[in-house]
Amino acid sequence: MNCPAVRDRLTEHALGALHVSDAAPVDRHLAWCAACRKEAGGLQHASATLAFSVALEEPPPDLEARIVGAVHAEVARRSRHPQASPRRSRLVLVAAITATLAVLGTSWGAVMAERAARSDEAARLEEIRRTSAIERFRKILSTMEFADNDGEVFVGSLDPATTAGGSGDALVLVSASITDRAVVLIDGLPSASREFHPFTVRLRGDDGVLMVGRLDRRDLDDGGAATLMEEFDDLTGYDTIIVRDARGRVVLSGILRTRVDIASPAP
Amino acid sequence: MEGLLAGNDDAVRAIYARYGRPIYSLGYRLLGTREAAEELTQDVFLTAWRKAARFDPTRGRLSTWLMTIAHNLAVDRLRRETGVSRPTLVLVDEVPDAPGLDEEAVLIERDAALRALSSLTAAERRLVVRSYFRGMTAREIAERDGIPLGTVKTRLRSAMIKVRKANEGKELL
Repeated sequence: MNCPAVRDRLTEHALGALHVSDAAPVDRHLAWCAACRKEAGGLQHASATLAFSVALEEPPPDLEARIVGAVHAEVARRSRHPQASPRRSRLVLVAAITATLAVLGTSWGAVMAERAARSDEAARLEEIRRTSAIERFRKILSTMEFADNDGEVFVGSLDPATTAGGSGDALVLVSASITDRAVVLIDGLPSASREFHPFTVRLRGDDGVLMVGRLDRRDLDDGGAATLMEEFDDLTGYDTIIVRDARGRVVLSGILRTRVDIASPAP
Repeated sequence: MEGLLAGNDDAVRAIYARYGRPIYSLGYRLLGTREAAEELTQDVFLTAWRKAARFDPTRGRLSTWLMTIAHNLAVDRLRRETGVSRPTLVLVDEVPDAPGLDEEAVLIERDAALRALSSLTAAERRLVVRSYFRGMTAREIAERDGIPLGTVKTRLRSAMIKVRKANEGKELL
């Protein structure tokens, strides 16, 4: 979705009046487009102003105590999973992203070198795809505000499960101080035929299966490409991406086993 | 926010004292029952705690951030549950006497909101209310009113810009 199309939807987006399927591509665009994000911020502020216009109601007296208790319970739950414990980070992400993607390129390069032994042409195509994926990951991740030095990034390629084709790359960021994220880049899915839509993208891990997103026909460009990014509380142990078509058939799958440390020097 | 991140009681209570009531009120107006409003208010605080590290005060006010979370969660819930009956929307109420400090801050926000709404024409106000409080899309409004979709979008955008400009330079919290 380009900037004019996004701006056409920003008012409804700020008002919360876009259907989920329409809001998802707008969110994806806002994740990397600073100009549209700035305009969205102004409209969001106006929208929040409206929230204060309703007549004030009196909440029950014990609600405050219940909320304090609920936050306590969450803090206790998170303390048992220290990797997902949120705390403000000290580093701005730019430095970490630069380091991440430098290592990402190196690590993936090693993986691709193995594949190169199989076929020069396949290796060349993989190299093109890897370069493109890294650039897209760079754009998406550069919109994040904070980073930490204790997080981990896992990457992997998505391979077609059928002769229908398609390909993709995915990244999972398990962070110690910010929300965990999954980024999935997909290409070559059948975009014209209705029988496949919607596609569902899920992350499978030790604790079950999480929905990363749903791709309808309008989410895919003419080449069957789409980008999904979703935030999760805790992605520890989630290492398998599975893309299914509307009939539940696996279309793409991949395991995110290439681990990349995002440790970087302080800026 | 550091206190909220740590789950500090005093920090949670301080934020609740200032924003608990408007969040609860918005929840009640959007979702229609006190039980749903209580659940929403709790969910807003848990979401705020989870995402507190991402809140950047240089990019927006805490009130905007919290009310956006509240509205998004309420709209998500409304879309999951059909047939929710909502009370008639009331935009103006009696101002309580001698408010406390936190209540006073909320009333200042309310005053700003009502001032912004009063800057709109009746038609614009109706449009904004149907979109923000009823969750109607521009297309649904266009079809119901029998006017072009582009016209609805233009009017909605114009109204929101008026709302934004009505309080420029008067952001107190």
